[in-house]
Amino acid sequence: MTAIVQSRAASVAGFWRDSGWAVRVGITVAVALVLVAVFAPAIAPYDPDAVNLTARLQGPSAAHWFGTDHLGRDILSRLIAGSRVSLGAVAITLSLILALGIVIGGTAGFIGGRTDQIIMRLTDIFLTFPTLVLALFMVGILGTGLVNVIIAIALSHWAWYARIVRGIVLSLTHRDYILAARMAGITRWRIFARHLLPATVAQLLVLATLDIGHIMLHVSGLSFLGLGVVPPTAEWGVMMSDARQFVWTEPLLMFWPGLALFVSVMAFNLVGDAVRDRLDPNVRMEHGH
Amino acid sequence: MLGFIVRRVLLLPPMLLGASLVIFLLLRLGPSDPAMDYLRLSRVPPTAEALEAARALLGLDRPIADQYVDWLWNAVHLDFGVSYALQRPVLPDLLYFLPATLQLAGVALLLTLTISIPLGVWAARHRDGWPDQLVRVIAFFGVSMPNFWLGFLLILLFSVHLGWLPAMGRGGVAHILMPAVAISLMSLSINARLLRASMLEVAGQRHVTYARLRGLSAGKVERTHILRNALLPIITATGMHIGELIGGTLIIEAVFGWPGIGRYAVSAIFNRDYPVVQCFTLLMVAIFVVCNLIVDIVYAWADPRIRMSASGMR
Amino acid sequence: MPRWIIHAAVLLLTIGATLGTGRAESRLAMSWPVDIGPLNPHLYSPNQMFAQAMVYEPLVKYQADGTLAPWLAERWTISDDGRVYTFTLRKDVTFSNGEPFDAAAVVANFGAALANLPRHAWLELANQIRKVEAVDDGTVRLTLDDPYYPILQELALPRPFRFIAPSQFVNGGTVDGIVAPIGTGPWVLAESHLGENYVFRRNPTYWGDQPTYDSVDVKIIPDPNSRAIALETGDIDLVYGAEGPVSPDTFARFQAMGALTTAMSAPLETQMVAMNSQQGPTADRAVRRAINHAVDKDTMIETVLYGTQTRADFLFAPNVPYADIGLTPYAYDPAKAVALLEEAGWHLEPGRKVRSRDGEPLVIELCFVGNDALAKSISEVLQAELSKVGIGITLVGEEASSIYARQRDGRFGMIFNRTWGAPYDPHAFVSSMRTPAHADYQAQLGLADKAEIDAAIGAALISTDAEERQAIYRQILTRLHDAAIYLPLTYVSAIAVARPEVEAVSFGAIASEIPFDRFRPATQ
Repeated sequence: MTAIVQSRAASVAGFWRDSGWAVRVGITVAVALVLVAVFAPAIAPYDPDAVNLTARLQGPSAAHWFGTDHLGRDILSRLIAGSRVSLGAVAITLSLILALGIVIGGTAGFIGGRTDQIIMRLTDIFLTFPTLVLALFMVGILGTGLVNVIIAIALSHWAWYARIVRGIVLSLTHRDYILAARMAGITRWRIFARHLLPATVAQLLVLATLDIGHIMLHVSGLSFLGLGVVPPTAEWGVMMSDARQFVWTEPLLMFWPGLALFVSVMAFNLVGDAVRDRLDPNVRMEHGH
Repeated sequence: MLGFIVRRVLLLPPMLLGASLVIFLLLRLGPSDPAMDYLRLSRVPPTAEALEAARALLGLDRPIADQYVDWLWNAVHLDFGVSYALQRPVLPDLLYFLPATLQLAGVALLLTLTISIPLGVWAARHRDGWPDQLVRVIAFFGVSMPNFWLGFLLILLFSVHLGWLPAMGRGGVAHILMPAVAISLMSLSINARLLRASMLEVAGQRHVTYARLRGLSAGKVERTHILRNALLPIITATGMHIGELIGGTLIIEAVFGWPGIGRYAVSAIFNRDYPVVQCFTLLMVAIFVVCNLIVDIVYAWADPRIRMSASGMR
Repeated sequence: MPRWIIHAAVLLLTIGATLGTGRAESRLAMSWPVDIGPLNPHLYSPNQMFAQAMVYEPLVKYQADGTLAPWLAERWTISDDGRVYTFTLRKDVTFSNGEPFDAAAVVANFGAALANLPRHAWLELANQIRKVEAVDDGTVRLTLDDPYYPILQELALPRPFRFIAPSQFVNGGTVDGIVAPIGTGPWVLAESHLGENYVFRRNPTYWGDQPTYDSVDVKIIPDPNSRAIALETGDIDLVYGAEGPVSPDTFARFQAMGALTTAMSAPLETQMVAMNSQQGPTADRAVRRAINHAVDKDTMIETVLYGTQTRADFLFAPNVPYADIGLTPYAYDPAKAVALLEEAGWHLEPGRKVRSRDGEPLVIELCFVGNDALAKSISEVLQAELSKVGIGITLVGEEASSIYARQRDGRFGMIFNRTWGAPYDPHAFVSSMRTPAHADYQAQLGLADKAEIDAAIGAALISTDAEERQAIYRQILTRLHDAAIYLPLTYVSAIAVARPEVEAVSFGAIASEIPFDRFRPATQ
């Protein structure tokens, strides 16, 4: 299983070749976004936080392609800087979710017995919370700020992953090669690390790709409510929240960050769907939020 | 069937109990001190004596298990305490704002179902034709659209440019249209795609082929044999969408100035007004769980296999 | 004539007048961002001052010219030592439920307010009152510890020394709440719909001039954008307030449109940033002075504020009593700011954007209310301005109550604050500088002579001689200005925007009151 997944995933070129034009566009945009995020400081034409009150609320021009905001900051530069915050937050959130899911779900599936039962009841409880409500609740406890938003979203999503990880681990432990390894006297921990973990991670990554867009919307949604980043940090949700007071006079202020978010989510959704279809046609709609 | 419902309903109390325990523990084990926040919101200088008095008043000086039992006892009697900031009982205030939120979420759910089903059927009927492509594109845009941004686009178009619909507040049908669309677009996009796939899958199954061979009209086959079975996954998915719809409503309320529970809750979260946050969360969980219960019952009723096995058990 | 006959006659006349002209009830709809609270006259937030002032009245009324006029007390005498005040109450006043307003009611209300003394400690009068007694039915005697001069100003405040019908007390007081908000004022709370609206009806038995409007409908609209839309669509007739009832750019837009009446009051209070002299880089006076020189307030006011406020050079505007003392403003002069910093040893290492001294970076936390869009914009402007002279600002946007908590316990480098406007300024505001629970106290703690400043404030408050008082205020304000404890930003005006259906919009003498009784519907 592991080997199969890996060899498939390895053939990126084949993936590209087999994909339709929409998926190719999605991949291109997603890769471009990641590059923009990584090299944001080098690409941005202006300092994203540089206030220039004499040049505020300008429309698009040669100097400022997307215009300037209510403090005269270059919107394009802020969008570029925002990509870094958004993608970074999503990457960290997803890593946290995966880590929590693997540790908790893996423990449940691998140890089994009472531990499994207790953990599963706990996951069931967490699954009774609508994710946004739980995230809001966590922010209520932890306080506002990007770090707390990331923690809150991770804590409100881990249960979905833990349940899936447990399922994968359970299905794998009964495979012949695991049983064989066990009889050969290999320690449980080694079996877990050598055989179960890689297979689980491979399947989870597929799921995680599907969730990038979803988490991105979550992060900017909370930021939009004013619970996220600290000013003057540029983040798409906050940019929209800031633009609210100008929605009647300067609607473009609202338009650009929303478009950036929309395009990014769409690109990652395209990639996610394609990866899923290719790698694992069985993981479908099993986890909704 | 009745037995199924009873068993399902009996599961509710333990689920809510579990949720309440999690809420309570997270709150108490979290990094902040409720007594401090109580003083802050009551505008009392946080001296050492004041803190101690507040701890005693809030019962924070007692063992945590006692605190939980006390809280639970009060909660069972529908007493969720008094808001630190407003000094008013929490539950009546939340219940006061709840109908507006339920109305919005309900209309959004209605829109989700009434739009996604025809779209899905249409797409499946014209598989790979232009309607299918169109629905695919709409659905694809729909799942990627940030709902709050969509809300603003709608306001820009229908309120600012055309002046057709009111941009803010709660009132008649005109007021609820835009927020409900903004909330439901994502769910209805997912649903439409799901229904299409499900219909195509069912259409290839043997019993449908037999029905066709028996000479039933295409319309009748579609209604009685395909759609009915294809709707089953939709019902399951609806259970999941409800969580999404509740969340979407909380955000969209901020965009459209909708006087619902979201506004009240977000300001309580900002203030760390724990009794409100606690009660709000539990209330949302209760609604979510009850909605899912209803979905499960509908599913059981719609799915002949479960229906029969349930009646068999009776 | 028995009182009830008068009441009945007034009522009949009112009804008759309404029926006779066949005119529809005239209702003024205004928006307010939050619920008005239970309207307990002796408590603070969440009770909204403007609403408390509609229902409850003071013994004496603060006038726009700074003097005090008879109100529920028709006259008063002051003992020679300035410690005993004897008030003669009006005889024709009843509470809106018919209960008589008499000396017993006044004494009961003072008792109820003072039972909660810790909450009123910020108000020196509360600490000064030794005794309140009824001499007879219509006379009340107040005895103070010291000859505290601002007693009348503080009796005129919207809270806590106003009067509710004693029958509405709970557990013999108001600390635990009230039954219903029954006052003597021109308005009676008629309907409450939490989160939606509150309707105040004209008090038919009111002793003074009847308001022109029959009712005032206060609609709760938290979001300034929604308020602007409600105003344009006619859902409300009026927005009013000093806390940005609509955003400055919206106000400018309405001004330009011309369809709505816009009005701006004279400057009411000062918006400033208090700087912590006790810890961090702001403990260095050179840094505080440099900050004062580094901010271009004029451009900020012109752009972000659309000219809706005026530049503040001092803690109190010169039109505030005792504050016109000819101080020299810290002019906008970034070069001077840089020079001050260099001189004090804050240097810019090559390749750095922020100065440092002996390894300590010149980074200051600026705390503001995070969901206040305007405060956020101003904070970001300050951050950008100060970065030009090498001062790094970390912005801390938190919810309002967290910001209050920081003001109280001094966890800030720089923090937004406002003076309180008339009639609190300057005496009540400087008085509170002596209380640890205020940002000013915390900000000033690092001053070597903080104890002397506090002593001077105490002396000013009980000085019986106006000239001596002026001299002490001069000393206090000069000291604070030289120490550059504050970065004064703007003098804030209240703004009002009204639909053409409303004829006269004027501003109250007390910043927190809205003179609804003077508003009139436009004559067709």
